[in-house]
Amino acid sequence: MELVRVSTNAWGQSEVLGAAWDPFWVFVAAGAAFVVVHALAMAIKQARTSRTA
Amino acid sequence: MAIDRSSSAGVRLVRHEGIDRIYHWIMAVAVLALLATGLLPKLGVGFPWVTIHWVAGVVLAVLVVYHIVRGLAWSRLRLMLPGWRDAVDGVREFASLFSRIAAPKTGKYAPAQKVYHWGVAVVILALVVTGCFMLAKLDTPFWQRNPYFLDSSTWGIVYVIHGYAAMILVTLLIMHIYFAVRPEKWWMTRSMLRGWITRQEHLAHFDGARWPAEEVAASAPSEKTTQQHSTA
Repeated sequence: MELVRVSTNAWGQSEVLGAAWDPFWVFVAAGAAFVVVHALAMAIKQARTSRTA
Repeated sequence: MAIDRSSSAGVRLVRHEGIDRIYHWIMAVAVLALLATGLLPKLGVGFPWVTIHWVAGVVLAVLVVYHIVRGLAWSRLRLMLPGWRDAVDGVREFASLFSRIAAPKTGKYAPAQKVYHWGVAVVILALVVTGCFMLAKLDTPFWQRNPYFLDSSTWGIVYVIHGYAAMILVTLLIMHIYFAVRPEKWWMTRSMLRGWITRQEHLAHFDGARWPAEEVAASAPSEKTTQQHSTA
């Protein structure tokens, strides 16, 4: 997975054009992972609280 | 249903003033418009996005300047500045997720909210600053494009920062919307829609010494009804 888009200029030098868009889904997955982990932690906490109540 | 003002539960306290709620929701629309117009074309959804993107970007830049001025001029910055108690509260808040330790009562903003705010602030500032440079590449009714404003390698850095800040913002937005819709946080979401929290919510979640919230000045219609009945 490339992190940046690169091109070659008129003098044959490599030049960074901007961010590559492949990592976009990594950032979406990171947000989704946070949601899942937090929701699980809260569900476990609520189950534990209701058992002791 | 009439509100019983004799009990503390019915008293409404100001959490977000009207001007702050308007700011928040205009910013939400601007950010969603910017992410949609900036990222959808990269994912293969083609449409004429440039004009919407730069206009929404200018709106966001104006809102950011307003937010900074309001934060500094009205001494509201201290509410969001992290202190040593936030570090202690943050550890307790995190531990409360996995143990029987009670979540701490905080100031107006919890430690996690402060961390989130400053994270978003850095990302949005990066987007706004790089976006302002990128305006030089556009023809608009106000100026003509000048793509040689920066050299090509510097443009590359500007585009990398802009792109990664946008992708980080997607992660932060997912987290923000998730907390806004969680049932136990609805009272906080309601406060961003209607401005107030109840005295009970204040007592349950906040340290009154650090954030002594003020009562809502105007009575709700149901409260007026109660008062009319009691004086009749």
